[in-house]
Amino acid sequence: MAVRLKQLESILYRLITAVSGVAEGLAAESRMPAGGLDAIVRGDDRLSAEDRVDIYANMYFYRLLDVLKEDFPATLRILGDDNFHNLATGYLLEYPPTEPSVLYCGRRLADFIRDHPPRNDAPYLADLAALERAVVEVFHGPDAPVLEPDRLRAIAPKKWPALKLRTHPAVQILRLEWRVAELLRAVEERREWKPADAGVVEVIVWRQGARVFYRELEKVEERAIAGACNGVTFAKICDLVAADHDPARDPVAELNRLLARWLGDGILTNASRLSGGRARRSRNIRRARPDDLWNARGYKS
Amino acid sequence: MKRSDFPHLGFGVGLRRPHYKLIVETHPKVDWFEVISENFMVEGGHALEVLEAVREHYPIAMHGVSMSLGSTDPLNRSYLRRLRDLARRFEPAWISDHLCWTGVGGRNLHDLIPLPYTEEAIRHVAARIRRVNETLERPILIENVSSYMAFADSTMTEWEFISAIAEEADCGILLDINNIFVSAFNHRFDANDYIDAVQVERVVQFHLAGHSDHGTYLLDTHDHPIRDEVWALYERAARRFGEVATLVEWDDNIPEFAVLADAAERARGIFNTVTIEHDSRSRDGRSPEATGKHPLSADHRS
Repeated sequence: MAVRLKQLESILYRLITAVSGVAEGLAAESRMPAGGLDAIVRGDDRLSAEDRVDIYANMYFYRLLDVLKEDFPATLRILGDDNFHNLATGYLLEYPPTEPSVLYCGRRLADFIRDHPPRNDAPYLADLAALERAVVEVFHGPDAPVLEPDRLRAIAPKKWPALKLRTHPAVQILRLEWRVAELLRAVEERREWKPADAGVVEVIVWRQGARVFYRELEKVEERAIAGACNGVTFAKICDLVAADHDPARDPVAELNRLLARWLGDGILTNASRLSGGRARRSRNIRRARPDDLWNARGYKS
Repeated sequence: MKRSDFPHLGFGVGLRRPHYKLIVETHPKVDWFEVISENFMVEGGHALEVLEAVREHYPIAMHGVSMSLGSTDPLNRSYLRRLRDLARRFEPAWISDHLCWTGVGGRNLHDLIPLPYTEEAIRHVAARIRRVNETLERPILIENVSSYMAFADSTMTEWEFISAIAEEADCGILLDINNIFVSAFNHRFDANDYIDAVQVERVVQFHLAGHSDHGTYLLDTHDHPIRDEVWALYERAARRFGEVATLVEWDDNIPEFAVLADAAERARGIFNTVTIEHDSRSRDGRSPEATGKHPLSADHRS
């Protein structure tokens, strides 16, 4: 009797994604028609039906493993090939791909690591994976004109207090419990790496052209940048920096230094977009949510 | 739908990341580029900047891997709308995807899984393609995939299956010559039979690529040069189908751009040769099936 298309696809999906291979999937399969797999897939003297499904099972896992390795090179480096392989196995079991693009394959890896800490001395691994994922997402984040220093200087000083500053929509800010930015940089630059120190930090991730950058925010700029994520006024930014700056330093000089850095890094959007409208979202501080990522960002296919 | 509804793009290569800089900065001599749609279905960033720059100088076609035309899940409307928006922005000559399914039950395998060649599957897939054509505001092309398994319930050949779907859905065909070769080995059919059977007017594009030999089966890996047997099959196809846009794919162990461009030029040379043969036979009063009209020069560009 013919197997209906829906049943055939469901059976094949379960066999291809069975965690220990097609043989294990076959043993667990309860909806196989009479005649077993041979009643669905033709085998021959070269390859049995199981061998043929196994080709797809291998491609499924190793394709996604390659995607994860490419998106999480530092996590891979810390764990090593075997442990990363095991991590990917468990992760894909708990978070199988649901989106049409592999861009989203690794979007929950940091959550998975947080929920299933690896049995090694790398308690910072979830934060590291979160930073690596942010790098991927910022690379494909939304476009907007960058605010150039000359554009800002062209605005009359008396208008500055009411001017709304806003971070570029691709910018992400991560609140982390481990100082993983230096570790990631060391891996990217192929240097010796040291385990990350404990310490609550905010890390800003932004892009310039084809490159993604990241750094820890200074304490003095944390609330100011958070404000800019909401599109607050320049006057408010001044207040926040004045309230948070090191008393040993001149607040005006601090503000000038920070503003020059933000403009130089290109993390603020063009002045023409700053004069009105609402912020895209309350704050770019990120904890991946599966339901909004297809509408947000991605990486390779 | 017929081939003449589409422009003839000539001989192109797939747009891949290692070549972005060279292509944008030097505008190498190649007729057109095919882009993987999903790579550009993003909100912004470098990939879209590159595509803007490429599109200024070349025609493109958009080739997807995730439409999952054969799935029994509902069509992914969000995906299709994003694809439509991308097409409105970049105006590709056409949009293509594969005759396969890529997931079920809301899960994605990120692989091109074949279908059983049955009347049920023809009706199912053709109805979905018609809905896709409406959403995308154009007829798509469907591509034959390389396959490693065949189904006990199949009641026809693969070429009968793809032809029936293209006819019922009124869509075009992207004929992947390498995939025919790979599947012919894996399922022991004659690749020439496939080339000789597909409707000439439905075929709008060819794919050429390399594969890897695993002894008991061939795998469509796009990481090797195109094999001589595939070139021979291409020559047969060029003779039969005539003026069909041809595209060289390479997705892993990607070589220098010149290697891909050279392969596209080799395809052009084969096409020009069989076209000249065709013209001379026509002057002798014979009437070959090929529809090629004139050799394409290397400067051809839409």
